[in-house]
Amino acid sequence: MSASRQEFVKLTGHKNFTQRLVLATLMGRPVHISKIRPNSPTNPGLAAHEVSFLRLLEAVTNGSSMQISYTGTTITYQPGLITGAVAGYGAGDEDIIEHNIPAPCTRGVTYFLFPLCLLAPFSKAHMNVRFSGPGVITAATETGDLSIDSFRTAILPLYDLFGIPAVRIELRILQRSCTGQRGTGGAGIVELRFASQVRLPKTLHLHRNPGRIKRIRGVAYSTGVSASNNARMIHSAREVLNAFCADIHIAAQYDQAPLVADPGDKAGGKKRMGIGFGLSLVAESNITGVLFSADTVVPSKGGVVPEDIGKRCAYQLLDSINQGGSVSRAAAPTVLTLMTMGSEDVGRLRVGREIIGSEEIIELARDLKKFGASSWGIRDIDEVDTEDIIISVKGSGLGNVSRKVA
Amino acid sequence: AKALQRQAPSYRTADLARLMYDEQLTAREVLERWKAEVAEDEDEEDIEADSEDEFFSSRKGDDDYVENTPVPRLNSEDYDQLAAKWSLEDNANLLRQRFTSTKGRDDNPDGFEGFGDDG
Repeated sequence: MSASRQEFVKLTGHKNFTQRLVLATLMGRPVHISKIRPNSPTNPGLAAHEVSFLRLLEAVTNGSSMQISYTGTTITYQPGLITGAVAGYGAGDEDIIEHNIPAPCTRGVTYFLFPLCLLAPFSKAHMNVRFSGPGVITAATETGDLSIDSFRTAILPLYDLFGIPAVRIELRILQRSCTGQRGTGGAGIVELRFASQVRLPKTLHLHRNPGRIKRIRGVAYSTGVSASNNARMIHSAREVLNAFCADIHIAAQYDQAPLVADPGDKAGGKKRMGIGFGLSLVAESNITGVLFSADTVVPSKGGVVPEDIGKRCAYQLLDSINQGGSVSRAAAPTVLTLMTMGSEDVGRLRVGREIIGSEEIIELARDLKKFGASSWGIRDIDEVDTEDIIISVKGSGLGNVSRKVA
Repeated sequence: AKALQRQAPSYRTADLARLMYDEQLTAREVLERWKAEVAEDEDEEDIEADSEDEFFSSRKGDDDYVENTPVPRLNSEDYDQLAAKWSLEDNANLLRQRFTSTKGRDDNPDGFEGFGDDG
């Protein structure tokens, strides 16, 4: 520790784990996180998905080191250089890093994609990662993750706003999967190819009118269950949304469930995993980059009819639109983090009052400050008829280059 | 409800700016204070915001091991509340202002009108 040039940023708690590690990596500050679930009787310390994320972080960076205490409740992390997928280092022959997510993972694959996509623009080489293994869940999860469809249609287009061309970001779903039994595991396969590396993200000014919703798109997915569930979800979602918007298209996606080796079967038999269905809806505004998403999925124990899933998703979408602002709750951390990483200019973002008034955003603001970014300025909008808030974020000017001094 | 929503100046922004970086408080306490200050200042608080508070506390009160997630975790009661909220014509009309093309509730649900999408 005495050898380290910079002081550790000391943090506590298990919340925003990936976000903190991403900030540490981007800002090049070593971090010390303690009290990670110290009082949990069943599983103290780091959870399976968090450890898996650490492995991913190790794979896409060079020279980072991490130490986890014996109980797993404390971790120190020295960030390295974000290398991406370099052939011969981490990546195999196909210039892609294979990341295997173990079976007890309860979070969806977007849990890994959010932080990975935040690192990717600043990577030295292209960021190509293939997620596979028994822990990959492409659907939304009960633990509150976005489905991969929402991620692709509502989060990735936002990168365009920062001068990071989204056309060069490819997210391929090779095998869909829902949450497996008891809320863990899935066995999907997802490939991310992030080929737009930038010097500095542009300053974002998204503080004017958030516009009006002009269309709603969506994907209904059934994996390993009857495809008629799709139609039923779509029908009930449209029942709610038709009153608001004329232009609604919801695609139906039916897949077979992934076939994996059954460890319980001595004869080496196989079984289907990750059966389920869910709905992802995205509302697009006539202003570029204003997107609202909603996700619902059937719980792994079942017992919810597709009609309810469809309705709930529609209501969730309406609620998200109602919260206002230019970014949805799901996108706000990504947008705000990229704004902080941008050039040394003040960007502005209009958010709904409920979105900034959420624990995660306040914690993000505090974390950013601890890692050395400037505080946000927040003020009301001088318009009648709105309660939105404008956040002004000063970029830290940490381009690609400064990060090469690891 | 429309008039009420417009006149109720909800939680003051300046207060949040002050509280947000106060390290003595946890994020939850910040929010509680922010919202509580409104409650004591304004007697005729927005009813809707009230129900919303409740609606979020049911999620927050869960336990300390909950992680922050991008998708709100709502249970079936929350959805029932939302359903009730959007079935009110006032609320729906208010929300309808946020859409480009709007049509009445009693329209033919199968009717695709070709207007309104300019892109």
